[in-house]
Amino acid sequence: MYGMIHRAMRQMVHEELGEDAWFALEQKLDIGPTELLTGMVYDDALTLQIVAEAAARLNLSVEQCLVAFGQYWIRFAGQGSLSSIMKFTGQDLASFIANLDRLHLAVGAAMPGAQLPSFAALENEPGHLVVEYRSDRVGMEPFVMGLLQGLMDRFQTRGDIKVVRRGEKSIIFDIRYQDIG
Amino acid sequence: MLISLSEKQIGTLLPAFLHIDKQLNISAMGPGISRHLPHVRIGMPCDEAFRIVNFDTAQFFHDGHDVQPVSLIARNNAVVLNGAAIFHEAGCLLAVRFAVSEEMFADSTMDLRDFGHADPVILSTMLIVLQRAMLEESQATAIELAHERQRSTDLLERTSRVAGYMAHDFNNLLSIIRLNIDRLSRQFGKDEKIGKLAKIIQEMASRGSDITQSLMTLSLQRTDTRQPLSVDEVIHNNIGILDSVVGPNITLKLDLDAKDRTCVVSYTDLLNALINLLINARQAMPQGGHIELSSSVGAGLIKSKGYADADPDMADQGPYISIRIADTGIGMSEALLARAFEPQFSSKPNGTGLGLGSVRNFAVEMGGDVWLESVEGAGTTAYLNLPIAGQMSGADIGIADKSASDIVGKKKILLVEDEPYALEALVEMLEAEGYAVTPCVSGDQALIALEHDSYDVLLTDVVMPGQNGTEIARHACTVRPSIQVILMSGYVPDSALLQPGWLFLHKPMDSAQLLQLISA
Repeated sequence: MYGMIHRAMRQMVHEELGEDAWFALEQKLDIGPTELLTGMVYDDALTLQIVAEAAARLNLSVEQCLVAFGQYWIRFAGQGSLSSIMKFTGQDLASFIANLDRLHLAVGAAMPGAQLPSFAALENEPGHLVVEYRSDRVGMEPFVMGLLQGLMDRFQTRGDIKVVRRGEKSIIFDIRYQDIG
Repeated sequence: MLISLSEKQIGTLLPAFLHIDKQLNISAMGPGISRHLPHVRIGMPCDEAFRIVNFDTAQFFHDGHDVQPVSLIARNNAVVLNGAAIFHEAGCLLAVRFAVSEEMFADSTMDLRDFGHADPVILSTMLIVLQRAMLEESQATAIELAHERQRSTDLLERTSRVAGYMAHDFNNLLSIIRLNIDRLSRQFGKDEKIGKLAKIIQEMASRGSDITQSLMTLSLQRTDTRQPLSVDEVIHNNIGILDSVVGPNITLKLDLDAKDRTCVVSYTDLLNALINLLINARQAMPQGGHIELSSSVGAGLIKSKGYADADPDMADQGPYISIRIADTGIGMSEALLARAFEPQFSSKPNGTGLGLGSVRNFAVEMGGDVWLESVEGAGTTAYLNLPIAGQMSGADIGIADKSASDIVGKKKILLVEDEPYALEALVEMLEAEGYAVTPCVSGDQALIALEHDSYDVLLTDVVMPGQNGTEIARHACTVRPSIQVILMSGYVPDSALLQPGWLFLHKPMDSAQLLQLISA
């Protein structure tokens, strides 16, 4: 995955456990600032190693950590240098998800080599969305679950996310939500 | 080809489209218009809602035909729409979209819904915004990398400093052991068993000294001494190295005539200076040639004429050893000659500009000078003048072979050492050699002693609480300019703190070497 993901993970560990915890993680994995270069695409194995180490330190399972990180990623992207493009992508849950592929199109052009997923709103009704996630990556379901949860938080909605179908390269999520803002 | 699209389909491709009929009334519009310009209604005259920039409204259908560029400005909030006017029988499709700007991303007034899926402008603008974000992140990363590098440097420096302190303290202890073992050997060495034990301890102290030397090398500290050396001997002893420096195509001819004289220098620094001058000469002769390396004893002005003219007060007089390195190379122009010793200046493509600069630093620190004389096409001659050891007290001093016994008993030594065991051992050793020794355990005591008596030699430790050794030495030289200064320390002080002619001994000291220095 690209370096910005690693930077977000570092920020999450900083916020949850402090700088020393991240420093210890870096030492354990023998990584440093050169593994945190924003536009650099790193091997997924490294990203998963970082997640696993962070999970151990956060006292979470890797799956729980991926959910927490997915949720955190939306907050991280919404606050940092990507905040304006996040706003531009959509200002409510449904339109944001509907426009995610367009955002990823631009991200792919900016970071050649990045392997980006696809999101499609199969059903879009008030308070109900059916979203298809497609990716060549496997094992990302908890992360995507976290992302969708993070988006619900971002747009001040509350609700349930369920997996209704798992394909070889796709997962279909059913989202029922209501505004709380 | 005729394609029929529904209003919804056109709205997906062009969310801000407008359609006007022949009466110039708005007959259809995209969802983007409804979202951002809610006052615009179907049936409203277009002219009431927008100003059409590049058309005369009254002549709109008269002037317009086929497809033409068009620009609209909303009358109540200055929203700009750009695109094409597509004329047809029933009216005109204004295939426009909101004008894109980077500010639009920041103020959140619009989002991707307001732009068509295939809109290349919005994609490229998003790309620009993303790249700007990545640049910001990269800047943050660059700062992090710089901090990381600084942290590593700091850590290395701290480690190096600690290693230096440890080496210094350990050297002091080894010095005490060595001096006291010498004492033991002198008094009881005739006893075979004691002599053997003393030898073992001495050997172990030497091995310990090797370890501290390594530690100091690792901590990038100098470990050399500053003592009277015969330049001729240094050249003779290193002729193999010097020959390989000039290379096989160049003949190195020696003409040494200063063998009975010494200069107070660091062995390593002198050798480095010679090597640098020879490298310079070799590089001036890419096709080969001859280098003449000679030494002689001179008297009078040590510094170059240019130096003396520029600063007559600093132009020292006295006996000196002149080292001359003459090549038969390409020579140097006046302009090049004037800049030759500038730090980081080099006339060679791969030159660092450090060689001659370091030779000048060395020469000046030793109280001498270096300069070049050159004739273009004929060669260059480098002159390195170094004051003869002990020149302050007269021309005779500095003769290398002068016997110690001639002056033993006449010399009064002021000895300053804050380590009592080292002080005791040194006093005993020097008194046993017939010197009159005044021991002091601090710099303050030494200053008082200097006020009350005059001394031939100041032998002082460098690192001490209160007045340090170099401060005492400076004061002693002011009170008695002819005093012979010998500094001793577990580390080599900054050469800038040492005055030309001062001797320096690295701890742990060798008693014989110390006695030789005092008697020289």
